Amino acid sequence: MQRATAPYFLILPSFILAAAIILWPLKEIVSLSLHDVNRFGMLREFVGLEHFRVLFADPDFIAATWRTLIWTACVVLGTLIVSVPIALILNEDFYGRGIARILIMLPWAISLTMTAVVWRWALNGESGMLNSALRDLGLIGSNIQWLAEASTAFPMQILIGILVSVPFTVTIFLGGLSSVPDDLYEAAATEGAGRWDQFRLITLPLLRPFINIAFVLNTIYVFNSFPIIWVTTQGGPANSTHILVTYLYELGFRLGRLGEAAAISLIMFAILLVFTLIYVRLAMREEKP
Amino acid sequence: MMNAKLKRSILFWLFLSPIVVVILFPYVVMTITSLKSATEVLNPTWWPEELHWQNFSEMWQTSGIASALANSLYVSTLSTLLTIIVSIPAAYALSRYQFAGRNAYRQFLLVSQMLSPIVLVIGLFRLVANAGMIDNLNVLVIIYTGFNIAFCVWMLQSYFSTIPRDLEEAAWMEGANRWRTLRSVFLPLAVPAMVVTAIFTFINAWNEFVIALTMLRKEENYTLPIRVLSLVAGRYTVDWHYVMAAAFVASVPVAILFAWLQRYLVRGLSIGAVK
Repeated sequence: MQRATAPYFLILPSFILAAAIILWPLKEIVSLSLHDVNRFGMLREFVGLEHFRVLFADPDFIAATWRTLIWTACVVLGTLIVSVPIALILNEDFYGRGIARILIMLPWAISLTMTAVVWRWALNGESGMLNSALRDLGLIGSNIQWLAEASTAFPMQILIGILVSVPFTVTIFLGGLSSVPDDLYEAAATEGAGRWDQFRLITLPLLRPFINIAFVLNTIYVFNSFPIIWVTTQGGPANSTHILVTYLYELGFRLGRLGEAAAISLIMFAILLVFTLIYVRLAMREEKP
Repeated sequence: MMNAKLKRSILFWLFLSPIVVVILFPYVVMTITSLKSATEVLNPTWWPEELHWQNFSEMWQTSGIASALANSLYVSTLSTLLTIIVSIPAAYALSRYQFAGRNAYRQFLLVSQMLSPIVLVIGLFRLVANAGMIDNLNVLVIIYTGFNIAFCVWMLQSYFSTIPRDLEEAAWMEGANRWRTLRSVFLPLAVPAMVVTAIFTFINAWNEFVIALTMLRKEENYTLPIRVLSLVAGRYTVDWHYVMAAAFVASVPVAILFAWLQRYLVRGLSIGAVK
C-alpha cells in the first residue's frame, strides 16, 4: 500500500506548483478573452468571440502574424544552416577546439536582454560601432540608421535571433554527432567515398533526427522570443517590427486592450500546442528503436 | 613541414572566424564602451584613448545597480532552492518507480516546458494584481519556480537514471530501509547532478525578463535585466558608457559560470534525449 502511493506523494509538490503557474493563468486568459474588459482588468459582460473578430479585422495584428511567420522561418532556417557546419567542425579534433566551443556558446551564457541592449547601442546611427566597422571595411559610404525603419531593423533583429540560437542548436548536433561510429567513415573511405559523399550518405542521414528536434524546439523558442525585438525597437517605428508576442504585450500593457491581448495569447497557445504535439511525436519516435 | 593537425586547425579556424567575429562583436563593443570616457563614448573609436575604470564605480553609485544585484540574487537563489526541493522527489519518483500516470506526468512536464511566460503573462498579471501583490519579489520566486520545474525534473531524472540501482539494492539486502538507503547511498551520488541542475536553474532565473518587466513597478524592486533596460528605454539622453558597464557587471559572472559548466549541459541534454 505504501509503495503504491509513494511516487504520487513525491511528484505532488512539483505538480501542484507547475500546474498552478500554468493552468490558473490559462483559465484567467480564457475568461478575459470572452468578456468585455476595461483597461484595469474589470470583467464586464460576456462578448463571446468579439475580441477575436476585432483582432482579425486589425491590420496591425495581421501584419504582426505575417511578420511572426517570416521571423520564425528566417531565424530557424538560418540557425540550422549555420549550425550544421559549425557542429561538424567542432566535432573534429583540432588546436583550440575548447576555446572555439566556448566562444560559439557565449551568447547562450549572456541574457538575451543584455545582448539586445548591447546591440541597440552597436546599431546606433551616429555613434554605433557597426557603422564604423562597416565604414572601415569600405562596405558602406555613410552611416545607416539601422533601427529607424523596419527595412533595416527587422533583418538585424533576425540576425541577432540567429546568433543567439546557434549555441543551443550546435549543442544538440554535437550530441548527435558523438553517436556516429567512426568505423562507418573508415568503411566508406575504403569504398572510395569522398568527403562530400561521406557527409551526404552517412552524416546527414544519422543527423536527421537531431535536425528535426532542433527544428521543432527552435521553432517554439523563436516563436516565443520577446526580448530581442522589445529591447531594440519595442515593435516600432509605427508598429512595423511587431511580432505576435510584442504586439500582445503592447496591447495588454501599453494600450490596455486586455481582451484582445488575451485572445492573442490563446491563438499562440493553440499554435504552440501543435508544435508541441509534433515534438512529442518526434521525441517518442527517437525513443522507440 | 606542417603536420596534418596543424593544417587542419588553421583551415577550421579560417572557416569559423567569420561567425566568431560576429558573435563576439557585441560583447567587444560592450567591453570597449564600458571603458570609454563620457566625451569619447560618442566617437565610435576602437580603442579608448584612456581606460576609464572609474566608469564602474560611478555607475555603481548612480545607476542603482547594487539593489538590482541584491534583488536578482534574492529571487534567483530562493527560486533555485524551491525548484530543487520540489524537483528532487519528483525526479526520484520518475527514475525509480513504475506507476500509473508516469508517462502522463512526463508529458505534462514536456508541454509545460514549451509554454514560455510571455504567453501566460496577461493571466499571471491579472492574478497577481487582484491579489495586490505587484512589486512583491516573492511572487517572482514562485512564478520562476513554476516555470523551471519542468527543466529541472527533466535534467535530474536523466542523471538519476544513470546512477546504478545495484548500489541501492545492495543496501536494502543489508537491511537498510528505503529512507536510510536514500540518504546514505543515493543522495551522495546524486549531488553533482543536483548542483549542475541548480546552477542552470539559477542562470535561467537570473536572466528572466518578461515576468520581471511586468510584475515590478517600483525602481527599488527591479532585477538586473529590468534595471539595465531602464537605463536605456524612454530616456532622452543615455549614458551608454554606464549602461555598458552595468551590462558587463550583470553578464560576466554568469557567463564564466556557464562557460565552465556548458559541457555538463551537453551531457544532460543528450542523456535526456536518449533515456
